[in-house]
Amino acid sequence: MTLRTSRRATLLGGLSLPFVSRLARAAGEPVRLGTLCPLTGAGGSYGPAMVKVAKTIVDEVNAAGGVLGRQILLTGEDDQTNPDAGVRAARKLIDVDKVDAVIGTWASSVTTAVAPLCWENKVMLFTVSGADSITQMPHKGFIIRTQPNTHLQGTRAGEYLAAHGSKKVFSLAAQTPFAVDGYKVLTEALKAHGADTVGQVIYDQAKTTFRTEIDEMLKAKPDSLYLNSYQPDLAVLLRELFRAGYEGKKFTYGYAANAKLLGSVPANVSDGLVAFAPSPDVGSPAYAKVKAILGGAEPDPYSCQVHDHVSLAVLAIAKAGAVSGQAIHDNVRGVGDPAGTKVTSAVEGLKLLAAGKAINYEGASGPCKFTPTGDISNCKFRFDVAEKGKMKLLEIS
Amino acid sequence: MESYLLAMAVFAGFYALMALGLNVIFGLGGMINLGLVGFYAIGGYVSALLVLKLHWPMLAGWLAALLACAAVGAVVAVITARLKGDYLAIVTLGFAEVIRLVASNEIWLTNGTDGISAIPGPGRGVLSPLQFNLLFAAIVWGTVLVVALLLGRLSASPFGRVLRAIREDEMIAAVAGKKVLRFKVQAFAVGAGVLGLAGALYAHFNAYIAPDAYQPLITIYVVLALTAGGTGTMRGAVLGAVLVVFLTEGTRFAGNWVPGLAPVQVAALREASIGIALILVLYLRPQGILPERTRTLSLEPR
Repeated sequence: MTLRTSRRATLLGGLSLPFVSRLARAAGEPVRLGTLCPLTGAGGSYGPAMVKVAKTIVDEVNAAGGVLGRQILLTGEDDQTNPDAGVRAARKLIDVDKVDAVIGTWASSVTTAVAPLCWENKVMLFTVSGADSITQMPHKGFIIRTQPNTHLQGTRAGEYLAAHGSKKVFSLAAQTPFAVDGYKVLTEALKAHGADTVGQVIYDQAKTTFRTEIDEMLKAKPDSLYLNSYQPDLAVLLRELFRAGYEGKKFTYGYAANAKLLGSVPANVSDGLVAFAPSPDVGSPAYAKVKAILGGAEPDPYSCQVHDHVSLAVLAIAKAGAVSGQAIHDNVRGVGDPAGTKVTSAVEGLKLLAAGKAINYEGASGPCKFTPTGDISNCKFRFDVAEKGKMKLLEIS
Repeated sequence: MESYLLAMAVFAGFYALMALGLNVIFGLGGMINLGLVGFYAIGGYVSALLVLKLHWPMLAGWLAALLACAAVGAVVAVITARLKGDYLAIVTLGFAEVIRLVASNEIWLTNGTDGISAIPGPGRGVLSPLQFNLLFAAIVWGTVLVVALLLGRLSASPFGRVLRAIREDEMIAAVAGKKVLRFKVQAFAVGAGVLGLAGALYAHFNAYIAPDAYQPLITIYVVLALTAGGTGTMRGAVLGAVLVVFLTEGTRFAGNWVPGLAPVQVAALREASIGIALILVLYLRPQGILPERTRTLSLEPR
């Protein structure tokens, strides 16, 4: 009898290859983690670096003996910066690769779409997305977010202003979903430090002049201005403030006070403008490592955050002594024990955990301490001031 | 794995429904509609909002999505009645972008770019994820079957023949006494209705919709599905949709077989291989895998 291979049998055989290799892998029982970063689409410029950092950290941990004596298997999928494609990729990671954590979702829409799949399947989701609504979902603790939300940003802005002598702060805010909440948060932070807000005007970004808004602001006699603006409207505002002779402090967000803004207004109009933005912890050894992994260029905040996602997941598994999404969920805050020894890498932390010691993980993105809803409770911010038409670093704190 | 395969079957079903809808508009009526993701979005938003905010039963939401999209489709068809070919393609592409921008900016209604989450699905929360996927796969493919049969009837009817005549030459159809605009509007409405139904099902399966989900990428996938499957035939539309989902998903696994590639290269290779596969299909079988056969077409050697 001759062995005949039909086309159908070949097809079935070919299709079953991945399952065969999966079975073979199951014998070694690796710990499974998945990255879901944008490799194509609008976020495509960030994802590759994020994946590279994640892969390097996993390789390091594996080279040092893995976690709980098991190797880590990192699977990556491309979310295409699209929630529709992202959901399918996440389903593959969760249902086929059986990952215990999904790491590095970038676009807020992708994160929001993927999150329910994660918590329904008890898989931990680590994200760098910024939308406040993400951690307000009923996620049962299965979301950890390392990007500061608007609440944290507003609080830090208020603290900075109060610490630098502002007593009466007026807010000019572009009409966004965050304008009202942002003002509330700013007021609370200022009041806690003996200062206060003296009013807010919410304006329509599309307007070409803000004369009436500025008159109203001047009536309140503030010593500092909080400009919750975007770059185009900020350029108009700064010109009109200059013309109106306003000489108090001016404070805004880093994304508004960009190079384009400085190029579009004269230096004496922009001078003195203080801008702030969340910053990785540039003094940390973990930051230096991320920088080295990426070939020496200053890493973007997302790569730094992914470094911490992988480290936190691995350390939480080690601390739990068990491998599951639930184990990461239960222990991700436990590896940041303020009473423990400070560590800045997963390998370092694994050694101490194996020796039965408590650890306090502080990563490349910051201290990595989380609120009960999964937001970071604090991180570093950088403050720059415009001087002669250039931004100059004031401090990172 | 089973859960994943079922979920992909559901997605294939959405694509099949969209390809069927497009087939009426483009395959039979010859109107190039690159705005189908806009109708998909309207369907999703209409059903999600009615069910969540006005507490309509789910089925009523789906029906409303179908009717709403049919109405919008009719309006779009009237507005674009004088446009043909590339011009119609650009206007419909613009239509989809307008829908996406409206969904991003009318925050009071659509919750803006944060999207609408926690859209109920039949049995979600009660059933296990696997059972839910199984039930939904049955619903979607049941819908595909019914829609394909109905549209098949429509295509074989005198109505379908007139549409094909308009597709081939509007002038001749008009000279033969057919009211071209009326037929075009009707075809557009029927097709858009099916697109809306697909959108509603998608919203309730995914539980979350946001403007970002409705990017032109989906339109491209569906147009490719229809062209690869066979423009003008209902079976071809369904087959093409299954093929596109098989390609997009199957290439995920193929990436593991090519050693020594960075993830970003695998992602690029994946998109490239989808493109190459479709180019090959179109090169080797320009009429599609299941080409259209009519009494006149079957006589011509192609």
